[in-house]
Amino acid sequence: MMVIQLDEVVISGLTKNFGDLCAVDHIELNVPKGSIYGLLGPNGAGKSTTIRLLCTLLKPNDGSATVGGFDIVESPVEVREITGVLPEEGNHTLYQTLSAYDNLDYFARLYDVPEDKISKRIEELLTFMDLWERKDDPAGELSTGNRQRLALCRALLHEPQVVLLDEPTAALDPVAAKRVRELILSLSEKYNQTFFVNSHNLAEVQRMCDRIAIIDEGKILLSGGTQELRQRLQATQNFRIRVVEKLEKAGSIAESMDFVSSVKREADSIIVTIDDPIGNNSTLMQSLLSQGVKIIEFAEEETTLEDLYLDVIKGGAK
Amino acid sequence: MALYKSMLVAKTDLRMALKVSYVKYGLIGIAALGPIMMIAIVGFMVLADPLYAVFFLPSLSALMSPMLGMMAIMPAALISANALVGEREQNTLEPLLNTPLTDRELLMGKLLSSFIPSFGLLLGSILVTEIATIIILLSVGAPIVLVPGLPGLFLLLTAGPTMIIAIVSVMILISGKVKRVYEAYQTSGASILIFMIPMMLPIFTLEGSGAVDMNSVWVTNIITFLIALILAAVTWALAIRRFNRDTMISM
Repeated sequence: MMVIQLDEVVISGLTKNFGDLCAVDHIELNVPKGSIYGLLGPNGAGKSTTIRLLCTLLKPNDGSATVGGFDIVESPVEVREITGVLPEEGNHTLYQTLSAYDNLDYFARLYDVPEDKISKRIEELLTFMDLWERKDDPAGELSTGNRQRLALCRALLHEPQVVLLDEPTAALDPVAAKRVRELILSLSEKYNQTFFVNSHNLAEVQRMCDRIAIIDEGKILLSGGTQELRQRLQATQNFRIRVVEKLEKAGSIAESMDFVSSVKREADSIIVTIDDPIGNNSTLMQSLLSQGVKIIEFAEEETTLEDLYLDVIKGGAK
Repeated sequence: MALYKSMLVAKTDLRMALKVSYVKYGLIGIAALGPIMMIAIVGFMVLADPLYAVFFLPSLSALMSPMLGMMAIMPAALISANALVGEREQNTLEPLLNTPLTDRELLMGKLLSSFIPSFGLLLGSILVTEIATIIILLSVGAPIVLVPGLPGLFLLLTAGPTMIIAIVSVMILISGKVKRVYEAYQTSGASILIFMIPMMLPIFTLEGSGAVDMNSVWVTNIITFLIALILAAVTWALAIRRFNRDTMISM
């Protein structure tokens, strides 16, 4: 049964156990239609299992999920019809002895792409991915990056409503990775396709996704819009303080402050993390100056999602 | 539509299997070996003594026909090992399971990829052997004797396809337990021993003249078919239960 809703993917208490191991532990997520949702986490966190549950490869032990309004347990075929999947190590999942074109042709038919549109669609995707010239080459003879792009073409063949990508740029060089990111952004914008991207590449997620969740040991530790999380980051701020001398003394002074949560020493400067920075940063600066530390630079460091990610993974913060 | 997708899977599986040298040449060799051996024996006997050949050919046919059955099973084991275990070995199973194919369509596809070529080879082998035997007998003016004869044809056209289904079912059951294609091939290939029954049992009914008791041959062939039928039914029922995405991916 299809349920009309605004969120393309709705996950509620989803759980998957492999024997005693709980790979996915009662996770809750809502992925809005047309969004690019990043699921971040270290290896073994449960990212791939989540994708395998969403594309109906695995059955959950508990909880439920809908994709495009279809329940993953009750309507698995409908879910697969509207879903495109790039599996983990997608470049290894092609028929190596079949040509690039034949790999796509086979899957286009399995995905019910209309007969008269198959060749046009394949040409369009292969051309976009710069693979048209290699269309007759066996997949096994393509480079790792080209195979990854071919696997991505396969996931997009039937213009799926929801695209589940497991580490999409893992095997790509920076240029190809950028191209894939651009493709995802343009498809999301043009066709309002929803992308659910697994990654441990923070920079990639930051550039591409408008919402993220951080998962570790099967549990969602944090989720929200990228902007929202950035704002959250602003509750703490890193500052770079370059000094002429007395670097060690400057570090000790900073460490003695209650509002300084960490101090990192570099060659000619210290990086301090200040809680509630408005006001506290000037207090720190005055303390340093009053104790004879000559400051050359006192500047805000750009805080990234990486800081938040590491903070969350280390602390298991909610 | 359902059969169209199963046929699509079967066609691709066969195509992939034929890209593997030992499968391709194995199929050609197996397909040729059975008829060549039978035709050679018939030819040798007819040339040596046409009258004795005509008398002895029905018995020879009874003992040799199961060999054609064996030859039909071997390609099924080769292809299904590639189609099931090979798909896992080469990591192509997961994308296939991500498509809207139902478990049943996929199962049918895997069965057809082995069944169609194997049954085709069996029919081809029978036809070539029959025609060649008739030509040889006619060339020396001897009366026509069917090789394989009627009991053999019964065995091959009933137990043959049944055993192909059994082989694929066994392959499905063991595909999660073995890691390599050749292991799967060897394990499922053990089912070939079923065809040793009609090859061996009639020998015990050999009469003084060197001919076998044809009633015993019929009984043996019917028993062989029933054993094949039970094996196919049991393994197929288990395979249907076993063949689902969760078990295939979790294994």
